[in-house]
Amino acid sequence: MSNSAVMANSVRPATAARTRRSFRRPWMLPYLLITPNLLLFSAFSFFPLLYAFYISFHDWSLIGDVTYAGLANYRRLVADTQFWHALLNTAVYALASVPTTMAGGLLLAVALNRRMPGRVFLRSVYFLPVVVSAVATGIIAAWMFNEHYGVINSLIVRLGGDRIPWLSSPAWALPSLVLATFWVRVGFCMVVYLAALQSIPTLYYEAATMDGASPSRQFWKITLPLLRPATFLLLILNVIHSFQVFDLIYVMTGGGPGFSTTMLVQYIYQSAFMTSEMGYASAIGVVLYVIVLGFTIIQWRVSRQSENVL
Amino acid sequence: MTNVNGTGTAFSRRHILGAGLALSVASGRAVRAQAPVSLNFAVWGNRAEEDAFRRLIAGYTAQNPHVSIRLELSGSSGQLYQQVDTRLAGRQAPDLVRIQYQQVGRYAKAGAIVDLSGHLDGGLAAQFAPALWKAVTYRDKAFAIPHHTDTLAVYCNMEMFRRAGIELPRRLEDSWRWEEFIRIARTLKDKAGAPFGFACAWQNTAAYRFLPFLYQNGGQLLDEQLLQPRLSSKEGLEAIAWAQSWFTDKLVPPTTSIKTNEQTQNLFANGTIGMLVHGDWQIPFLQEAMKQAEWQVTYMPRSVSMASDLGGNCLAVTRDSKNRDVAIDFLRYATNEANMRDFCIAAGFLPVRRSLMDTKLEYPLRPDAMQVFVEQSRTIPDHLAATVTLPDFSRINTKLGEQLDLAFTSGQSPKDTAENIEGTIRSVLKG
Repeated sequence: MSNSAVMANSVRPATAARTRRSFRRPWMLPYLLITPNLLLFSAFSFFPLLYAFYISFHDWSLIGDVTYAGLANYRRLVADTQFWHALLNTAVYALASVPTTMAGGLLLAVALNRRMPGRVFLRSVYFLPVVVSAVATGIIAAWMFNEHYGVINSLIVRLGGDRIPWLSSPAWALPSLVLATFWVRVGFCMVVYLAALQSIPTLYYEAATMDGASPSRQFWKITLPLLRPATFLLLILNVIHSFQVFDLIYVMTGGGPGFSTTMLVQYIYQSAFMTSEMGYASAIGVVLYVIVLGFTIIQWRVSRQSENVL
Repeated sequence: MTNVNGTGTAFSRRHILGAGLALSVASGRAVRAQAPVSLNFAVWGNRAEEDAFRRLIAGYTAQNPHVSIRLELSGSSGQLYQQVDTRLAGRQAPDLVRIQYQQVGRYAKAGAIVDLSGHLDGGLAAQFAPALWKAVTYRDKAFAIPHHTDTLAVYCNMEMFRRAGIELPRRLEDSWRWEEFIRIARTLKDKAGAPFGFACAWQNTAAYRFLPFLYQNGGQLLDEQLLQPRLSSKEGLEAIAWAQSWFTDKLVPPTTSIKTNEQTQNLFANGTIGMLVHGDWQIPFLQEAMKQAEWQVTYMPRSVSMASDLGGNCLAVTRDSKNRDVAIDFLRYATNEANMRDFCIAAGFLPVRRSLMDTKLEYPLRPDAMQVFVEQSRTIPDHLAATVTLPDFSRINTKLGEQLDLAFTSGQSPKDTAENIEGTIRSVLKG
């Protein structure tokens, strides 16, 4: 018997005994299982979050030395009209894009939940922008909305209308982004709603039909209430997505014209990489974190209460 | 074996040991000198530039077989700076970087690139164009070596020009006045079927390309000492108002303001605009994209004086380089006369060595167009070069872009635009 084999044999019983002891303490197993995830989360999410918080109290150009700045970045933020402008833009964008995208996703899910030819193909078509890189979809959207050679204006002109300055007018730029977001996100909402629709037992509908409830009444009284958990989930995810939107806007408008489409993350990016003010960018990041965290907590509580009621 | 003082064995051993030690040190040095060295070289550029860089690397590694250089290609200068800055923060920056002259001060001030002054020959500075050597110095020390320059001129769609019956100026001195340029843009729109007269390539982070128009009108962004803003002067306000009128009079596509990602060269190639204010590096693209249509290049318009943009790039070594001596040796090789000439010819740039600046280079692609850029490069004002190479110019440039964009797309008055930009300039210069 070789040395390694001897060693392996002597080690195996000890390891097995340790494992058995671990399993005898059931409270340890979950911690063991989540340890890899916790380590990765700490390294790539938690530590950067804490570090961003630390940097927000400093001046740092990313390539130079870090110098302590106290609350200067936060004081500057309060007085910065561009920050408030970006925050307002983000809120308007979220208010406009979240309900429309969710309503569109619900309509598509209801339509594609029925037996119809090409159902799988259509589901894939609507879901495709979700799996494609946001930069690629942004470039395609920018082409579609291009004032001079975009397909949307070509259609409008063919139908006898005037060209719309989708991306070059401060009045139209944000609506263009909302439309593009609808195209990109509607597939995601559709898939979540589809999964939720398919989990509703059919006997509810059979009973309602026997009681004489019309399809629209069934939708409002059975489908919609039972979709409430999925709706809350989508609401949270879409609002967070709206507050974190960057790539689509970076590619389509670059935050312009003027400040009409400058969102919070766009402003963070600009402060961090264009004017090399990492401390100030981190301060805005911390504010964004607090906003998203607050919204998540509120929605989570509301969601739990709703589930308890149901 | 014994010697005369009877210490034969000891002497002999000492000698043998000493000789062995000396040999081992010498051989160690030789081993170190020839030990494999690998460098990373971060650049951005089009296909022609990439090919030229690869040839440069191949030439150097053929002479120095123990050195390998990996070319890291970014899509644009902006992307490269983001990557390099992030990697500098993580102490993992590439050894060598290609940077614009406008960025040297920022990197040098932060100590992110290596002070080359102790590594270069004393007479090297005198071999380069003074304005460009000044652009690579920070506090009288060289932090990079100029590699090439480029500038702006006006690309013209000759089919449209013939339809409108317009001829191009033949000499720099005959370049169009502002009024003439606007009249031609209108004519191209009204008579030659161009949806828009022209466009300027100042999108994204290139707001500083507004400055040639400011200098053409006798204005300056800063005073002579570069200590105070001077944009609110009569000349400055006129220049902003003039550029604003391009948009209000619909002479340029509304999508070609500053905060957009519009690719103006595409608009020229597909006939949306009749003229394009852009740099010489677009020649390979337009030659490829406009095979069916004829285009020419003419000089920048002028008002009270002629001016164009300081473009081009230099090469630097980052503080994270573990093989600085080899990296600096590569910089010297890349910027020697023969290699600078080859690079400029292959990639369509203008040389920055005095010995090459007065030589007519044999550009294989559109030498006629390159000649216009060569002539135009002599109109770059020294004051403009000094302004855009200030260490904190990137912050001024961002504000310049934001505020000009507001003037062009949202009707902000030239006075408010200038004052807002000046506010940022004051705070940047104070800091």
